[in-house]
Amino acid sequence: MLIKQSLLAAGSLGLALVGYASVTIASDTAENYPTKPLQFLVAAGAGGGTDNFARTVKPMLEEVLDTRVTVVNLPSASGAIAHQRTANSEPDGHTLDFASSTLVTSLAAGQNPTGLDELTPVARMQSDVMTLIVDPEKYPDFESFRKHAEENPGEVIIGGTHAASPDRMAFLSFRDASGLDINFIPYDEEGSVSANVMGGNIDGMFGEISSTLSYMESGEMMPILVFAEERLENFPDIPTTVEHGWDLTDGNERGIFVNADTPEAILAKIEASMKEVYDSDAYQEYEERVNLHYREGWLGSEDYRQQLEKNLENYKRLLEEN
Amino acid sequence: MLDSFLNGLAVVFQPMNFLLLTSAVFIGFIGGALPGISGVILVVILLPVTYGMDPTAAFMLLTAIYGSTVFSGLITAILYRAPGTPEAVMTAFDGYPMTQQGQAGKALGIGVLSSAIGGLVGTIALIIFTPVLASFALKFSSPEYFALAVLGLTVVASLGGRLIYGLIGACLGLFIATIGFDPLTGTSRYTFGSLELAEGVGLIPVIVGLFAISEVMKRALGEETHQPLKKVSINIFDMHILRKIGVTLSRSSLLGVVIGILPGIGASTAAMVSYSEAVRWSKTPEQFGKGAPEGIAAPEAANNAAAMGALVPLFALGIPGSGTTAIILGAFIMHGLQPGPMFMVTSSDLVYAVFAGLFIVNFMILLFSKPFIALFTRLLNIPYSALGPIIVMCCIIGTYSVRNSMFDVWLMLGFGVLGYLLEKLKFPLVSIILGLVLGPIAESELRRTLAMSRGDFMIFFERPISATLIVISLLLLTAAIVVPLRKRAKLKAANK
Repeated sequence: MLIKQSLLAAGSLGLALVGYASVTIASDTAENYPTKPLQFLVAAGAGGGTDNFARTVKPMLEEVLDTRVTVVNLPSASGAIAHQRTANSEPDGHTLDFASSTLVTSLAAGQNPTGLDELTPVARMQSDVMTLIVDPEKYPDFESFRKHAEENPGEVIIGGTHAASPDRMAFLSFRDASGLDINFIPYDEEGSVSANVMGGNIDGMFGEISSTLSYMESGEMMPILVFAEERLENFPDIPTTVEHGWDLTDGNERGIFVNADTPEAILAKIEASMKEVYDSDAYQEYEERVNLHYREGWLGSEDYRQQLEKNLENYKRLLEEN
Repeated sequence: MLDSFLNGLAVVFQPMNFLLLTSAVFIGFIGGALPGISGVILVVILLPVTYGMDPTAAFMLLTAIYGSTVFSGLITAILYRAPGTPEAVMTAFDGYPMTQQGQAGKALGIGVLSSAIGGLVGTIALIIFTPVLASFALKFSSPEYFALAVLGLTVVASLGGRLIYGLIGACLGLFIATIGFDPLTGTSRYTFGSLELAEGVGLIPVIVGLFAISEVMKRALGEETHQPLKKVSINIFDMHILRKIGVTLSRSSLLGVVIGILPGIGASTAAMVSYSEAVRWSKTPEQFGKGAPEGIAAPEAANNAAAMGALVPLFALGIPGSGTTAIILGAFIMHGLQPGPMFMVTSSDLVYAVFAGLFIVNFMILLFSKPFIALFTRLLNIPYSALGPIIVMCCIIGTYSVRNSMFDVWLMLGFGVLGYLLEKLKFPLVSIILGLVLGPIAESELRRTLAMSRGDFMIFFERPISATLIVISLLLLTAAIVVPLRKRAKLKAANK
């Protein structure tokens, strides 16, 4: 009995010690973090928007944290391999996953097995504005597009990238909200979609405003509807979804994720460092250069998580109804 | 326009820019010659270096590297049957047999000349016709792409060897192409729950495995007879050969430009289609695969022409024509430039300097390729027991670097064994590559077309370009089946 009790006592003491030790280690590591070079896993191919984002942040974060960073592109399976590797990495904050909204859209479509229970969002740093883009010779404004779609149910074709892409989700939520009978064809890359819109083979596409600026100038393509609460300062003539009474505001977003078991203290430190990068002049200059400055990009860990969960539910519902 | 071009030349010949261009050609040469290191990877590696440069210099550097890698992939394809880039895979079919027959110098000479001519034709088309060609590219939509893929696939019937093997090979290629996420619905196909397979089987593991690794195995097992090579002399301007391949060169360069400008279809497809057409129009199709000079000229002229063609939609519309140009598009955006319909107007100085740079690069290829290739031919004297493992190592590193995936390396080695076994059966590997490259285009474009027409097949005949292409394919297919049958019937009648 006595032996048993003392064993128990020793055991709980041991547990307490272990607990204490792990707490000190955690806070120690947060203070010392990073203890070794960081690794950025980019859930997209080299040269794209997410890759450029990671490679722009790299030197800035190296300076803030005084460390080295290596960037690895893992484009396979819409980035699912990057998410999986992050979830399986040491939960010490040294492996960061750079991802776009494709993370949740592919999760909703069942193409990405690594969910938000295995990954913790650190922050969102970019929020691009989704728009409906058409050939202005065909549809000079949104009203004419809407009228044509209403009069010819099932005839209007929207192009997009793939079946689990953010632009498909924009299409599904737009169709769901507007009640228009329109169809979607996925292409292999965004370039093919634009070529088909310009060539008059399809009626329109959903895309980020940043990528359509040069076409607006020449009049080959034109955004006619903006997914936003208020009209954009630079484009006061383009109506928004919210004015039409549709609660659609999500665009393509880019952020950073870590293993869900990463200690709070380290997570907080990475978030603070990213905020420092985000607020820097150099980063803001980059956002302006690539036209990502129309909307506030920053969203902290907790807010970003809530928004992702909300979007995920919404996308799941849309895919099920479809 | 001539003014802008001359101004561009003046920019190119500024000492710093010229030095940059020369080094770009050498970097491209080395990268292209190493199996697995393709233009895509080189451009990605050098992208951060260009952030500090002024945009004109940066894009001269990137496009020159792009142009020269497409060229130098032929070196190892001809000498070791290890295509340095995917674009050069067709070059190995006739280039390597020539090396085995002791004619490596001749094969390399044809390759260099064809590349330079194809590249020049492509660059001139780029300089003069960019706006016109871009609007032509927009006429191509799903029905036209499908018809083009069908035209390419029908060549299986005219390829040498046993027809049934050709058909099985093409089907095998088509099958491999179906692995991964369905391109339209995103459903997994034959992935067995593996995320690695979800993106599909890449072209590089298949090519490197089927060609380079299987060849190393063959030679390691001592099944290969090789003419000993002491000295390889490369003769680029051989009038006798030039006369023989002249027609092929012109046809392939033009085909290359046309296919290159189509968004989403790159130089590899152009090389394949023009090889197919060279076989189809040849008076001696049975010579292909055994060391026909036209078999080197066709893909090399086409891939270099197509590489330049792929820049047309990039500069005119802001739409990349191939994988590498997609990365160059990303680089433009990082430099704060927006390629699009207005780009040629707003950034005309930069555009014409880049054009002039590419023009010069083609001459540099002619000039510098000889000493550079000489380095590689000297490697031929190294005993194969040392060279073979080095080739395998290069293949492994190159394959790994494409997607940072060890799975691809295993896949590549697996295809090596498969290639070795298939060649023992005298199986035409070219038909597998044909199916693998053209299959995804044919499948997804057919489904997109039917989505556009809501299930009506008549759409293929209502659009002039697709109708023409489909009718030509049907005629060629019937001819390929009927002509041998009639020949056989005649022979039978004569025997009786």
